[in-house]
Amino acid sequence: MTNSIDRRKMLQRAGGGFGILPLAGMFQQQCKAEGSSQGPHFPAKAKRVIFLFMNGAPSHVDTFDPKPKLTEYEGQLPEGMKTRGNGYMPSPFRFAPHGESGVIMSELFPQLATCADDLCVIRSMHTDTPNHEPGLLLMHSGSQQPTRPCLGSWASYGLGTENENLPAFVALCPGMPVVGPQLWSAAFLPGNHQAMSVNTSDMKLDSLVAHLKHPSLSRSEQREQLDLIQHLNRLQLQSSSDDELNAHIRSMELAYQMQSEASEAFDVSNEPQSVHDRYGNSTFAQSCLLGRRLLERGVRFVQVYYVDKNKQPWDTHTDNDNKHRTLCADSDKATAALLMDLKERGMLEDTLVIWGGEFGRTPYSQINNDKNKAKPGRDHHATGFSMFLAGGGVRGGMMYGQTDELGMHAIEDRVHVHDLHATILHLMGIEHTRLTYRYSGRDFRLTDVHGRVVSDIIQTNTT
Amino acid sequence: MRVAVTLCILTVMAQTSIVQADEQTDFFERKIRPILVEHCYDCHSSEGADIEGGLRLDSRDAMRRGGESGPAVMPKQVDKSLLVSAIKYESIKMPPEHKLSDEIVEDFVKWIQLGAADPREESSVPAEVVHSEIDYDLGRQFWSFQKPERHPLPYHDWMDWCRTETDHFVASSLRTNGISPSPTAAPNILLRRLSFDLTGLPPSREWVTRVERLAEEDDYTQAVDELIGSASFGEHWSRLWLDIMRFADDQAHIVGSNEELFFPNSFLYRNWVIDALNRDMPFNQFIELQLAADLATPEDKDDDVALGLMGLGPKYYRRSSPEVIADEWEDRVDILSRGLLGLTVACARCHDHKYDPIGTADYYAIAGVFASVEMFNRPLDADRETKNKGEAKNPRDAMHILRETEPVDLAIMVRGDVNRKGPVVPKRFLTVLSSSEPEAFQNGSGRLELAKSITSPDNPLTARVFVNRVWAKMIGRPLVGTPSNFGKLGDTPSHPELLDDLAVRFTEHGWSLKWLCREIAMSATYRQTSQTNEPGLDADEENRLLWRMNRKRLSIEQLRDSMLAAAGKLDADVGGHSIDPSDPETRRRTIYSQVSRLKLNPMLALFDYPDPNVHSERRATTTTPTQKLFLLNSPFVVKTAAILTERLKEETDGNEELVEQAYLLLFSRKPTTDERQLGIEYLASADDQKKKYVHALMVGNGMLFVD
Repeated sequence: MTNSIDRRKMLQRAGGGFGILPLAGMFQQQCKAEGSSQGPHFPAKAKRVIFLFMNGAPSHVDTFDPKPKLTEYEGQLPEGMKTRGNGYMPSPFRFAPHGESGVIMSELFPQLATCADDLCVIRSMHTDTPNHEPGLLLMHSGSQQPTRPCLGSWASYGLGTENENLPAFVALCPGMPVVGPQLWSAAFLPGNHQAMSVNTSDMKLDSLVAHLKHPSLSRSEQREQLDLIQHLNRLQLQSSSDDELNAHIRSMELAYQMQSEASEAFDVSNEPQSVHDRYGNSTFAQSCLLGRRLLERGVRFVQVYYVDKNKQPWDTHTDNDNKHRTLCADSDKATAALLMDLKERGMLEDTLVIWGGEFGRTPYSQINNDKNKAKPGRDHHATGFSMFLAGGGVRGGMMYGQTDELGMHAIEDRVHVHDLHATILHLMGIEHTRLTYRYSGRDFRLTDVHGRVVSDIIQTNTT
Repeated sequence: MRVAVTLCILTVMAQTSIVQADEQTDFFERKIRPILVEHCYDCHSSEGADIEGGLRLDSRDAMRRGGESGPAVMPKQVDKSLLVSAIKYESIKMPPEHKLSDEIVEDFVKWIQLGAADPREESSVPAEVVHSEIDYDLGRQFWSFQKPERHPLPYHDWMDWCRTETDHFVASSLRTNGISPSPTAAPNILLRRLSFDLTGLPPSREWVTRVERLAEEDDYTQAVDELIGSASFGEHWSRLWLDIMRFADDQAHIVGSNEELFFPNSFLYRNWVIDALNRDMPFNQFIELQLAADLATPEDKDDDVALGLMGLGPKYYRRSSPEVIADEWEDRVDILSRGLLGLTVACARCHDHKYDPIGTADYYAIAGVFASVEMFNRPLDADRETKNKGEAKNPRDAMHILRETEPVDLAIMVRGDVNRKGPVVPKRFLTVLSSSEPEAFQNGSGRLELAKSITSPDNPLTARVFVNRVWAKMIGRPLVGTPSNFGKLGDTPSHPELLDDLAVRFTEHGWSLKWLCREIAMSATYRQTSQTNEPGLDADEENRLLWRMNRKRLSIEQLRDSMLAAAGKLDADVGGHSIDPSDPETRRRTIYSQVSRLKLNPMLALFDYPDPNVHSERRATTTTPTQKLFLLNSPFVVKTAAILTERLKEETDGNEELVEQAYLLLFSRKPTTDERQLGIEYLASADDQKKKYVHALMVGNGMLFVD
């Protein structure tokens, strides 16, 4: 396998970089080659990924991890825990098995229930911190520090783009989530692997992607102008070359290419009304629909954030039950629509769908003050929670791992965030220990020195 | 970020006791204990894992020791026994479900009056008790709490290379690591670098025509002094300050169309900042006036506009409710502490700081200062319509400042909960930055005393933090990688002795920003080329040790301004009202942009302008195709390129001259042979290529970066 570092240094120090290369045609290929630095290491099961992120962290015991024992222990205080509530709080929601496989979920997901046989619910997730900022960073970048490349950037770096006319990695969020652009940052990876972030609070094309068209130049005129820009940029590289300048060159090329394709790709109004109806009209639903359009057109990694005016709506410290009713209703409909839509288009088998938040919520209640006594919430919970995967080579109709009888700690087949990352990369054809980048004298990787591929949840090849 | 509570497990061993079956004990057993057991033990005993407020009521000692709010019971002192006010529902309300009967309350009062006899022993079960246990003496030993000192210049092998004291520290650490400094950059590169770093603008035509002379020390010095002396200096450097203090014209929310909370005259504060920097107001005075101009110079009403530092702070939704009032204090404390001191004091709002020696008491001591003032729309003159208490009726008629109110000392809000009051803390400065227990502020809100504590020669942080920010802006990389966090979780300095030496000399030179900029600009470190070399990359790819200059990306302000400047359309007037920077017809500098907390201008947002709702530690630098779309297609860029094209057509004769002049205007240098040839060929390739050519030059990497 090519060692990307050597090649990067070679390019950088040959005094040439792109300066030594001829014009446009070659350039695009170079973009692709330079982008796909390392992978794939073996055939990918998932060609693309869409990560549906429930900001604030959903409650596992109200969604995918039924804990009837909570009724028995209701009101008892968890041992050794400092809590501010009335002890264990059973979920008011009914759980039932669905599909042929009998995947269990709560009544909050009537639509997803019909997709049960496609879901792989991991009930034994655990993470290192119950605080939002570091938790979000860990789930995105494998580190609690805000200086590491995120999962999508690693995927883009490892595999490059499938469509030179669109970014490899897009983050869809109405406004900004907690932490902000750091969540989709390429950090020290070459800058073109950072996500293009799109504010989805207004789905009109002009608002999503501004300045998509030159006021007067024709496409061919602009191509010719762009070749000039890039030629000038490369002349500059002959005297001084580095990653940052290269990132700007690639970004400029991509901007030009996007003009033709993005106006079509980002315009959800091109979808028939029946499709809109199926997903729903919420911001999250429309973002899922936009995400599907982007995946369809070769975007490799899409992050969809469930954010509203409240930056972390799933952070249900009060009124947990009612808030989950509302949030799940929206998320259920849109997520199920996305799964079915992908399936009907034959895309689900090689598209990995991930659903979850930065951690889970406590199986016991949280009461902040007298007012909320009647509407208890649940606090942050890091030692056991649920997420689900679907498509992309994951075994459907599966429940994996367990928490203890009260949903406090993952106890069986535990899956750490690093393990999830290793598994996602594996599904994408990347061996996580081999996807590295040398920076500041050290080889960095998404999973640091951790990570275990959870092979039990991966489909075995039938051929 | 609020940090988790500091928990300390105290193991209290059983003691021997003598139980006296006297009358009082009997009273306790009959009237008091049953109530405690029935109504209190659920939340306040070692039996439950959950001990609310750190308070246990299941033993005599625990009850007298109390919890986070203080002792629950003090024998014979009913007034000081928090338990009584709690069951009377006077402070916190306990038990929360329902108030105890008056009879029971009377029993408790009587019991305490009689001496609160209580036979209950400590159990030997370890209990969790929340308490503050910051060792300030130990904390003061951390590097950033030690006063910076001057350091003797280190001896090294690169003496000839050094031009200023700064260079000796850089050279010495390079030598230790076996790296050589880089050669001096070419004159045209130095000129462009100096001009953008000191004024935010490309160099004047006059300097460009005599650029070669910059190789001469006298001329270099003259260029530096001229640039520092120009009015553009204050415009450019005010940006640093406005990012720190989250400058904005409005609020993050609006109810209906009510703009009462907006700041239509925020520009007056911006003008003041620009002017202060141009006059080289000593930085200590700059801070003192912004915190307390009304108290420091009561005779001068005009300089009160400086109070916009806090007077232009966010006013949150529902701002009369106690929770929101407390949130606004947090903003003020955060601007003050992260912005000026490089400390995350706001982390201590709910609990003692988890890493740094900052207690909740420290937080409320500072918050108390801001609880003793109010935001005030002072009428611009006597003709303006006012409402109650002399405030301008319409914000448009006002200067947005602060004024004193009745001074108050705040009670610690236990876990940040406005309903749970702990001990009252007098307004005072941070303990860790005081040599011993800090003295309470005496005058009014204490703002002037607070300001003086910040600018005191004994304060180890203020100068260091500011010097580090200025260094970052000049060099492209801070000495301390976390400019707003000099605490334990922050970075350690790459050149600790240099940082200290510069900080001390900065204060010795009258806290002069201009001196500091000059000191850096004159150094050999600053004048190095930004070109990389093999040994340097191998030894220190990040350039932490400064073996070369960093290549810097233009900020949106610099980018937009330089486009307008090249087109000959930049409006050079200093100061004034806010503008819409994306309007192609608007030619004022970008520093004058409207800044909305509600909806930030998309052009600013696209190019990494920080969120004006909060303090910005440093700007992010992103590279996105959407930025490029703006450069390729936005009306502003397309129009400005057209204007520059017309200018070039008028001022030049023939394509070759046009190419040369375009390079001079945009990049302050002549084109290379290849560039000249490419330009001439492109312009000759078809009719009407000029506009496209000029636009291409304007949006390429040559424009975007300063070497």
